[in-house]
Amino acid sequence: MDSISEQMIEALGIMLLGMGLVFVFLSMLILGIKLVAYKFAPQPIEHNEPAEKRDTGSAQGVDPLMVAVITSAIHQYRAKA
Amino acid sequence: MEGLIAFWSESGIANFTPGQLLMMGVGALLLYLSIVRGFEPLLLLPIGFGAILANIPNGGFTEEGGLLYFAYHVGIETGVFPLLIFMGVGALTDFGALIANPKMLLLGAAAQFGIFATLIGAIGLNYVPGFEFSMQDAGAIAIIGGADGPTAIFLASKLAPELLGAIAVAAYSYMALVPLIQPPIMKLLTTESERQIKMEQLREVSKKEKIIFPLMVLGLTILFLPAATPLVGMFCLGNLMRESGVVDRLSSTAQNELINIVTIFLGLAVGSKLSADKFLQLETLGILLLGAVAFAIGTATGVLMAKLMCKMSGGKINPLIGAAGVSAVPMAARVVNKVGLESNQHNFLLMHAMGPNVAGVLGSAVAAGVLIAVLG
Repeated sequence: MDSISEQMIEALGIMLLGMGLVFVFLSMLILGIKLVAYKFAPQPIEHNEPAEKRDTGSAQGVDPLMVAVITSAIHQYRAKA
Repeated sequence: MEGLIAFWSESGIANFTPGQLLMMGVGALLLYLSIVRGFEPLLLLPIGFGAILANIPNGGFTEEGGLLYFAYHVGIETGVFPLLIFMGVGALTDFGALIANPKMLLLGAAAQFGIFATLIGAIGLNYVPGFEFSMQDAGAIAIIGGADGPTAIFLASKLAPELLGAIAVAAYSYMALVPLIQPPIMKLLTTESERQIKMEQLREVSKKEKIIFPLMVLGLTILFLPAATPLVGMFCLGNLMRESGVVDRLSSTAQNELINIVTIFLGLAVGSKLSADKFLQLETLGILLLGAVAFAIGTATGVLMAKLMCKMSGGKINPLIGAAGVSAVPMAARVVNKVGLESNQHNFLLMHAMGPNVAGVLGSAVAAGVLIAVLG
């Protein structure tokens, strides 16, 4: 019985150590993610977005022809089917 | 006539032992659960079939030179199969929900309490006559609470190979039973108004963040917990292949063909451990019991931690998502979503639950690393 009690104490020790380590490890990961987010979070992307939109806007200027081509292609396809 | 006698003495009917018949019954039950009930069919089907093959008298599948012997020897004894699966899981996992809300890692950590509480439970079971679990056995049994099949198999193959069959079957069976085990516990620990809490939409996550994440996890593991690097390393490799976007072919192989091939052999090899002489023991019953307790405790501590975070954040976190902290991806997250919808039909918690869910995978890998470092 004594040996089991000793084992119990050892298990308790592992439990405290294990939970402690898991929490410490994942907490550090939280800090890490926050640091990375601070540097690389998508805010700059939001700033870029208007620029991208302008790009797509100019692309749209060329588009109507393509749109017309695609639309007529779809119409022909549907007519066939 | 002599030929007929020789044929008869080699036949299955003449050589069956009751134990083998019983284990074939267990194999058939697993097949039934996977085919008719749809419980984790990807694993329970090969495991069930493996169990039947392993108990064929004179079949020789599990003896040296037999197919199952080699599958076990090559894939599980060495720890290769669970690690390859882990790489595939990494390639399948999107950490976006977690990166957007990193606090969810705390839930994945809290739910690992199920593992360590079960460690004590397994040792406590030694007070019952007939049980003699060593510390290593207890550690391998406890990891069932991590609700992560490959991690459980990896740890069991390192700490207690003789218990591997029972542990793997318990882990996968309970993962399949998550929709039955978790909801009562979740409802018991939360109030109706808490279950109705709606959570803010998650922010967008940039590609750079997603690429840096696996490297950061790997870096932390290298620094603090090298024992977990086999698991975490393969997981991060899979995830980096996915997020980097430059090796789509490798990523798609890891999450499709490779993981499928390995799953077939992993299931068969685990099933081969369900031979009558190894499985039909009192210890198996204890393992099944402890596994259920481990699951329940993990769910409970996850929910309790989420309740605490809910209070601290002024009611912005729905405590239900804590239950997803026991990995079991994506089943646990789906259960959370379902229970949330029961309280509020317009409250979709799935994405919010994916955060703690994938955090649970990392948490149980870290817990496994701790157990290997301390007990291995």
